[in-house]
Amino acid sequence: MHADATALAPTSRHSAATEAASRRDRRHRRIRKVISYLLLSVGAVVILFPIYIAIVNSLLAPSQIAHQPPPFFPTHPMWSTYPTAWNEGHLGLYLRNSAIMTAIIVVGQVVTAILAAYAFAFLSFPFRKTLFIVFLSTLMIPFEVTLITNLDTVTRLGWYNTFQGLTVPFLATGFGTFLLRQSFLQIPKDLSEAATLDGYGHWRFMTRVAVPLARPAVAAVAVFSFLASWNNYLWPLVVTGDNNNVRTVQIGLKLLANTEVQNINVTLAGTIIAIVPLVILLLVFQKQLVRGLTAGAVK
Amino acid sequence: MTVAVSAGAGRAAPAAPRHRSLRSRKKREAALAYLFILPALLIFSVFVFYPFLRNFKLALYENPPYPNLPSHYVGLHQAATVLSSSAFLQSLLSTILFVLMVVPTGLFLGLALAVAAHRKLQGIAIYRVIFSSTVVSSVAVAALVLGTLMNPVVGLLPWLGINPTPSILQNPTWALPAVALMTVWQFLGLSFIIMSAGLQSVPDDLLEAARIDGASAWTRFWRITVPMLSPTLFFGVVVGTIYAFQSFGQIDILIGPSNAAGVHANVLIYYIYESLQIDNNAGQAAVLSIVLFVITLSLTLVQMRYLERRVTYAR
Amino acid sequence: MATTRCMRLLVSGALTASSLAAVSFGSLGGASAAAAASLPKCSVSALGKATGVVDVDFWESASQANQTTLQALTNTFNSSQSKVHVNLVQQAGYDDTWNKVQAGLTNGQLPDIAQLEDQRTQGVIDSGAFLPVQSCMNASKYSTSDFLTRPLNYWKVNGVQWALPFAVSAPIVFYNKLAFTKAGLNPNNPPLDMSALLLDAKALKASGSGMGLVLDPWHLETWLASANQLFVNNSNGRSARATKGSFNTSIGVQIFSDLKELVTSGDATTNSSTGPDEFDNLLGIGSGKYGMTIETSAALGTVTTLLSQYPNVQLGVGPFPVLNPNIRGGIEPGGSALYISAKSSPAKQAAAWEYDEFLESSSSVATWAAGTGYIPTRKSSTQTAIIQRLWQSDPYYKVAYNQMLNGLNSPGTSGSVIGPYADVRAALLAAEQSMYLSNVSPKAAVSSAESNVNNIISQYNQRLGVS
Repeated sequence: MHADATALAPTSRHSAATEAASRRDRRHRRIRKVISYLLLSVGAVVILFPIYIAIVNSLLAPSQIAHQPPPFFPTHPMWSTYPTAWNEGHLGLYLRNSAIMTAIIVVGQVVTAILAAYAFAFLSFPFRKTLFIVFLSTLMIPFEVTLITNLDTVTRLGWYNTFQGLTVPFLATGFGTFLLRQSFLQIPKDLSEAATLDGYGHWRFMTRVAVPLARPAVAAVAVFSFLASWNNYLWPLVVTGDNNNVRTVQIGLKLLANTEVQNINVTLAGTIIAIVPLVILLLVFQKQLVRGLTAGAVK
Repeated sequence: MTVAVSAGAGRAAPAAPRHRSLRSRKKREAALAYLFILPALLIFSVFVFYPFLRNFKLALYENPPYPNLPSHYVGLHQAATVLSSSAFLQSLLSTILFVLMVVPTGLFLGLALAVAAHRKLQGIAIYRVIFSSTVVSSVAVAALVLGTLMNPVVGLLPWLGINPTPSILQNPTWALPAVALMTVWQFLGLSFIIMSAGLQSVPDDLLEAARIDGASAWTRFWRITVPMLSPTLFFGVVVGTIYAFQSFGQIDILIGPSNAAGVHANVLIYYIYESLQIDNNAGQAAVLSIVLFVITLSLTLVQMRYLERRVTYAR
Repeated sequence: MATTRCMRLLVSGALTASSLAAVSFGSLGGASAAAAASLPKCSVSALGKATGVVDVDFWESASQANQTTLQALTNTFNSSQSKVHVNLVQQAGYDDTWNKVQAGLTNGQLPDIAQLEDQRTQGVIDSGAFLPVQSCMNASKYSTSDFLTRPLNYWKVNGVQWALPFAVSAPIVFYNKLAFTKAGLNPNNPPLDMSALLLDAKALKASGSGMGLVLDPWHLETWLASANQLFVNNSNGRSARATKGSFNTSIGVQIFSDLKELVTSGDATTNSSTGPDEFDNLLGIGSGKYGMTIETSAALGTVTTLLSQYPNVQLGVGPFPVLNPNIRGGIEPGGSALYISAKSSPAKQAAAWEYDEFLESSSSVATWAAGTGYIPTRKSSTQTAIIQRLWQSDPYYKVAYNQMLNGLNSPGTSGSVIGPYADVRAALLAAEQSMYLSNVSPKAAVSSAESNVNNIISQYNQRLGVS
């Protein structure tokens, strides 16, 4: 103890100043830390606040909801809104439909993108450059520009109110092809040459070497594709009618809001039910999510 | 790079390519390539290019109010009427205002969150998850959740003393900003993720060196971070603009087709939908679709031209 | 105050004289003979020839509460015979049903019978999607003499009955008797005309409440009808296709200027008829914000239950306040009717007609009206025990019926038939709003409303190829 104290005792005036400076620094750093946490918490509150209010309101009775000022905590939570939303809102069915539609589109987009990107990256063929530009040009044509005729085409094919109608127009992606080609091009030439010498055909090379190496890009395309198709609102709205076996959860929520216009607590319970699976996916697939959404941001 | 083309896995390539002419190998490769490209190309042809081109034909025909009755040829007369109508000009204005409200705000707030979360603090991971969480909120959820907050009867606005007449979502002045606010909230997750990724690309040693040289945090931010963020900001503006342009679900849920024009929330995409589905006016919808295409094309070109010039890429 | 009232009476006297000349009475029954000759066929015998059970899909948009009554009636029908089975396919609302029908014209998914909103009549005729019920009426020699005249006439165009009325209502006054007393008004005397409405609103406002005014173009049309003023030309579109508006008259301006005074003086606060605050005018009575409002009679059941929760409210109900008691007019109906598809097979059409007849029978009408609060559209149905019991336990249900039974029967009081009706109503509403939000004068508002309406109608007619 005594020895420590002597060791700590400043030996000269210069070190006393440095000692005070470092103490000030530590205080500043602590203050900055506190401010940082404060700002972060404010941001978190602002972002989570609407969801919090939605949860609170979903548990309030209709008479409590219209109360001003609005209650910030449910004193007598009305849990029955959740089973009501699930059953009368057919949310289980709609979640299933959204899942099926999304799975088909994700698989479709990933497969067609891998195949096309492989061709663009590893095969030589006439018009390769032109065709790649053709693929890229699809990025210039937003979906809404194709809405009119797509609805017409799908109706003529008899695909109105079916999963084919919901998914087939989206089975290819220019963006995904671009990303995967980029990723394939980064595979070192020596690897592909070695594979050739080992007698690998294209199919084998693609499935055993290229795709595994491009896994981050594949995951990115899958995530991007998942979010876009799960979130799709306009197309399911126009191409599905009264069919609970096909209606997606986005349209289902709108329907729930319209039918339960006087029971906003039930509608909100429905939205919470709808968001839970995605939140779980967010927590599990954070890394892939970030990669998928920022592909192209930093290059 | 010549690659032996073999049909099945495991079959060894011929020791010497004497028995196969180069042309035949090349033909096989090309055939395989076309086969690989075929699925995507087929989908694009049927569901992207054909519909895009057909708009030009549809725009020349006027449709009766009911879809089962035949349309008649009117040439460019329809396009002229639509493009000079006050409804179209209002729609265009609403769209531009909407994008201007959503994109800068969303990117600025996303950047602020990203900067705040770009520290090595304990538990920062939780904050980062929270900040990116709105990216998984679907448009229906976000619209209903924020719509409730703005509800004149059950929402927070009366408590805050905000009581516009008509109520905010029925109000010609405030409906669009209200929808924009909700869109910004939903966009925050994506904006945060993009800005965060961008911040991570700014080399720490550069900032550290500047700090040692005495540069203040403010200077460091504006002189180093922001320029190095330019490609990210560029990407953010492009993504954000497309995001705002394609906003549809929130207008459908919060405002609806019967009110959209009245409250000036009739953005171009919503006007296209209304023309097609509500008014059965495919001809008008086709004209509007072409306008939408021209706008998004020019925006992308403009952004690439001007923003890329100002973007300073790292070595 | 008294002088304003005198002036009103003078003005209304002058208006009375001019309005009587405005309406051509006889044109309603006009071309019925010629029309009957060219009606599509409804072969009611096709049902007998069909083998097995004929399935009928009914697209309806009854609210949650009314759905139970409808389901019960349908179950009764289904179990009472073995030829027809009706499936209720509940839709999200009137607009949704119509949009689905439109989509169905191309994708083939159509109902056999549908409940469509009042404003869709001309659309039904122009699209050719539905069979005029007159065909089936002729084929089975169906008599409509028992029906109330104006609801029946609402769905009769150019002598042809296109649908039979189903869910009929009209606006009435809901008020709080206790608030009236507090304002020094007689709680048993709701306002019977526009001037009384303005005076009562002022008194209510002075004592702390006021009036809730919902912005509904249907109410504006009802005021026009109460003064026997045509909304559009050609007998409100009934003797021939409507080509322009007819409401830019002193009556139209009177309505707008009365409402402007009501709102800008602060005596009444407005709310939208769609969206989250669509019930604000009713909820406001409970919270004490309002002492009175005008709302559809179909809401009576809900309102009674809702406001019974508030100890400070004693519900009073009165008829729709006519524009001018010196002008004889009538309250026009609104609501929805049942249409039979033109695209279904003859057997299904016959089956749908069977169901239609059942729903329109006196006892079904009584059950439906008692269970929902809609106006019983058949005079004989009001003699049934179920309606008598209803009226005895709650006499307020009689108010809407009486105002539909009484009053002048003419094209001006039977509602309009317009192709782009929804857009026309939106234009009318926008004009009304402009008075409150942008201080536009009533004259200018009515004039701009009519020119907008004329544009909308002529564009529609041009698209249809009939102009």
